[in-house]
Amino acid sequence: MTDLAATAPAADPSYAESRRRPSFVAALYIYGSLFVVAAIVLVPLLTTALGGFKTLGDLRVNPFGLPSEWQWSNYTDILFSVRYWQMLMNSFIIAGLTTLLTLAVAAMAAFSLAHVRFFGAGFLMNYFLLGLMFPIATAILPLFIRIRDLGLLDSYLGVVLPQVAFGLGMAILLFRNFFRNVPKELFDAALVDGSGYIRFFWYITLPLSRPILATVAIVAFVNSWNNYIMPLIMLNSQAKYPWPLGIMVYQGEYSTDWQLVLAFITLTILPTIIVFFAAQKHIVAGLTAGAVKG
Amino acid sequence: MATIALDEVRKSFGHHKVLHGVSIDIEDGEFVILVGPSGCGKSTLLRMIAGLEEITGGDIRIGERVVNDLAPKDRDIAMVFQNYALYPHMTVAENMAFSLKLAGASKAEKQKAVARAAEILDLTPLLDRLPKELSGGQRQRVAMGRAIVRDPKVFLFDEPLSNLDAKLRVQMRGEIKSLHQRLKTTMVYVTHDQIEAMTMADRIVVMNGGRVEQIGRPLDLYEKPANLFVAGFIGSPSMNLIAGEIASGDGVPLFRSADGLSLPLPARVAAAPGRAVVYGVRPEHVEPAAPAGPSDAVGEIALVEPTGAETQVLMTLGGAQLLGAFRDWAIHRPGERLALRIQRERVHLFDKESGQRIA
Repeated sequence: MTDLAATAPAADPSYAESRRRPSFVAALYIYGSLFVVAAIVLVPLLTTALGGFKTLGDLRVNPFGLPSEWQWSNYTDILFSVRYWQMLMNSFIIAGLTTLLTLAVAAMAAFSLAHVRFFGAGFLMNYFLLGLMFPIATAILPLFIRIRDLGLLDSYLGVVLPQVAFGLGMAILLFRNFFRNVPKELFDAALVDGSGYIRFFWYITLPLSRPILATVAIVAFVNSWNNYIMPLIMLNSQAKYPWPLGIMVYQGEYSTDWQLVLAFITLTILPTIIVFFAAQKHIVAGLTAGAVKG
Repeated sequence: MATIALDEVRKSFGHHKVLHGVSIDIEDGEFVILVGPSGCGKSTLLRMIAGLEEITGGDIRIGERVVNDLAPKDRDIAMVFQNYALYPHMTVAENMAFSLKLAGASKAEKQKAVARAAEILDLTPLLDRLPKELSGGQRQRVAMGRAIVRDPKVFLFDEPLSNLDAKLRVQMRGEIKSLHQRLKTTMVYVTHDQIEAMTMADRIVVMNGGRVEQIGRPLDLYEKPANLFVAGFIGSPSMNLIAGEIASGDGVPLFRSADGLSLPLPARVAAAPGRAVVYGVRPEHVEPAAPAGPSDAVGEIALVEPTGAETQVLMTLGGAQLLGAFRDWAIHRPGERLALRIQRERVHLFDKESGQRIA
């Protein structure tokens, strides 16, 4: 009998060796590239975080090094201020609502586009994808007028609804590709078991879609968290400002105290970094889902 | 339990006709297997019985009801799929109880039904596991368990053993058959494996190109295939088929191929010299002739394949090839010349033009 395992490439020692150990030059290239990319991402973050621990004089003399004296009070003063927590809460409310609405609407729309055959499905999908081609800034004036007409100016919903609308294209695309890879036999089995589309969506599709739900949730959350222009246009009351506007106000008040501004920025971006690291496994799984046949 | 009646059932995908009017009556409690080559429409027909495919024409009755327009859940059927189709995020118990959950059954009812099915299929120790923690055979049993829990009138199986290895397939074959004997529920089973069909079915429906070629008990199909397709499809190794005509030899009808090979015909064949026919003989009805008689054909061995239980010997006789399945334990070698005796009363004869059985 032929031993199939013996003929498989992985069993070939030279093949396995070549997979395990890249050559010295290749390793240098790989690690060098990774180092440069990591530096591009990390240096601004670390500089900002460390800058928040310095005095203004120290920051001017030594912008990139470690603080000569650690000024913890820069951070603790902000953490004990009401304004910081209020802005953080505003950001959480806006980003949370945006995420929930994006997930609910995009998942249902994508499920229909993936599983239900109806007239105009292709056109509708392309229509959703059109949204990917326009940055928010291009539509800001008509959006402002429409939100004003709806009476939603200076409200959380006035920020949330346009953010959801602009997030739907990417979210539907990711969801649809994932849903299409749910085996058709599962749908057939569920039909025989007594399920319809809605129960199949709720009991089978959603529980199986945790990776893509996490991916879309994080993308929607981070986009909303970092969105500057939409709150700037739609909100008037400082009490409703999320953190990007809060920084603007804070910077206006402490324009000479850069160390405080850097500490404020560090504290406001910290939640998204924590969320990202907590869910990065799901993000990678969600973005690559369906890329190869399992 | 219920009867199933298919009356002139047709199916088209656009202009492409897949089923051309299929009529089958399945008795209450019967185990019927739809068999045929890939693309013959057997799985489509099963999915139409299940309600997973729409019907282009004709009627399907389960019991007394015409179910053409009923949703799958309202047909009182259960189905086992080729790829098991177990819900990956649910445990074995949850998979099995899912249909009852959707039907609004109480927790006690679900537990009772799952426990009963698990006991029948020896799944009790696996109830808390996820499908990914099960072997192929165990997954297949869970899929059957899910069907049993519903206590349906009809079980439908869509090539359920295709993904299992040969040894497990034989074992599961026995388990499905004993399940049928225990539950006595009407079962319709689709396979392309004619051994599965022969060993398990009460009756077999042989399909080809969207049409039913023959319906009958396994041995009826084996011994009296209605046409050339069934003759070639049923039986492993398949029947030897040689084209030629009926000739007359000393007043006794003979078969003669275009290459001049003469073979004996059964006594029941009427003399019809010159009629174009196809001569069929199963390999197990060809045996070495020792000593060789004057009417025995002599050929040269081209290939020898011992299988243990028998030795399959491919012979060249003139321009024709003939496979014999010998149980004589003699050692045959390629290149040897060998006299063959054909059990003439086991010979099949088909009309060459229509392909229909003559004798």
